[in-house]
Amino acid sequence: MAAAEGPSAALRRRDLCSRGIRLAGKMRADVVDLLDAYVEQQGLDASASVAAVEGVPVAAVERWDEQTGTQRLLENLAAYRAFRALLAQMLEEQREQLGEADAGLGRALAAVLLQVSAFAYHLEELLRLESRGIPGEEGDGPPPPPRLSLFEQKLRGLGVLRELAQWAVRSARDLRQLGKPSSAAGAAPGLAESP
Amino acid sequence: DSHTQYERVGADVTMKCGSMDWDAAVTWTANGTDIDESHLNGSYLILKNVDLSQSGQYSCYEGSSWHLKYQTNLRVGTPPKEPVLMCRSNNYPKGFYCSWHLPTPTYIPNSFNISVIHGTKDMVCEKDAVPKNRCHIRYLQLFSTVKYKVTLTVTNALGKNFTTLTFDEFAIVKPDPPESVVAKPVPNNPRRLEVSWQNPSSWPDPESFPLKFFLRYRPLILDQWQHVELSDGTSHTITDAYAGKEYIIQVAAKDNDIGTWSDWSVAVHATPWTEEPKHLTTEAQITETTSASTSSFMAPPTTKICDKGAVVGSGAMAVCWTAGLVVAAYSVLFI
Repeated sequence: MAAAEGPSAALRRRDLCSRGIRLAGKMRADVVDLLDAYVEQQGLDASASVAAVEGVPVAAVERWDEQTGTQRLLENLAAYRAFRALLAQMLEEQREQLGEADAGLGRALAAVLLQVSAFAYHLEELLRLESRGIPGEEGDGPPPPPRLSLFEQKLRGLGVLRELAQWAVRSARDLRQLGKPSSAAGAAPGLAESP
Repeated sequence: DSHTQYERVGADVTMKCGSMDWDAAVTWTANGTDIDESHLNGSYLILKNVDLSQSGQYSCYEGSSWHLKYQTNLRVGTPPKEPVLMCRSNNYPKGFYCSWHLPTPTYIPNSFNISVIHGTKDMVCEKDAVPKNRCHIRYLQLFSTVKYKVTLTVTNALGKNFTTLTFDEFAIVKPDPPESVVAKPVPNNPRRLEVSWQNPSSWPDPESFPLKFFLRYRPLILDQWQHVELSDGTSHTITDAYAGKEYIIQVAAKDNDIGTWSDWSVAVHATPWTEEPKHLTTEAQITETTSASTSSFMAPPTTKICDKGAVVGSGAMAVCWTAGLVVAAYSVLFI
């Protein structure tokens, strides 16, 4: 549980949350652009439904308003660490598939990967502020999944980017909750009042 | 016995007089008025190519005894056309509502059934008491990429029809317009108007789900609007109003991150502050002021097309003039 925070810690938290919200907003805008480019380049149908893919963190959550600040930070961190690995894999596959043929898409992927890494680091900063230990990353982790066909790779890529776009919106909301003056990491924020 | 009978517009309708034989002597009435024998085939009543005006109560009486042998309430109508369905979240993240109507009336009772599926999960859309053609759903999940599929089926005695909407959580978010829009002149400032408003009361948590706003304004005498987008705050000062001209002002709202803009708010009118005219008493001054003088309005200083340096109010983006705006010269007579 977080210790009672002094005013400087509260200010630091609000500052980190504000910057995080801006980062999430920029990231979302770039992911949406990347999604459009990806769909076009990969010859996919933008409205295609993609089943939940193993290993892709799902942004959907029940009882979101009842989550504690710590839950929000930990879930966000786990997600963005997973996205970091997934995007790195997509970048590698992209290079294998197209080589230098589509450097633009590769650059856009790399730029989003950078933002995802930066956001993960930002979340770690917030967790440190909450005097929470930062969960270690699984070093060896589970064995890599079996190699997918080219089409399966494309669909998974679509799923990754869609979920990332959702996460970017969720993260902004999470940080807004966290940045509220009344919010403390261990306490569940109050439920929204009915009009 | 009496019952209701539904028939399509344009249909040919044959009514039997209950269990009476074809050759029995009977009298038919429509809403109490005798029907001419030319419409009878034996004891059967024949109505060809029925229209809406022929709806009503039809009764058949035995010839001599005037015993009522049969009665039916004829309702002429049409099967339903494809209904119009709309779903919207004006209270995100609590839930959304769907509302519907028929494009053309059927003139007979209809029943509506709505189903909502989220992925593989059936959800219950609770019907509102008022209005009747509306139901609402609470979100069980947020931030889902799985689409919602809403199917509305309308059924009446003459047929059925349906329509389906598929959408994701973010796409249907559309707040109600801002409320309590107020515009006031600023004392001693002939070019300014202070505008303020409130978040729509239906938006449950503006602190966690902040809205951004779009303000538009124009003098009544011109057709082209000026627009300002505001990323925070519920007030704004217009600083480039034409002196002395009445303005019309409206505001719209949108969630900061998702969804679409609300409709425009109710319009408010305001005129910037003007100096009280001085009363002149000398003849020379009266002579001087009786000749018309022309003054041309200057374009507001420092405002260029999308000049990002022109900051108006906190958090505002640049004021963008529509190209080709022509400033009219006015003749003003000062008394």
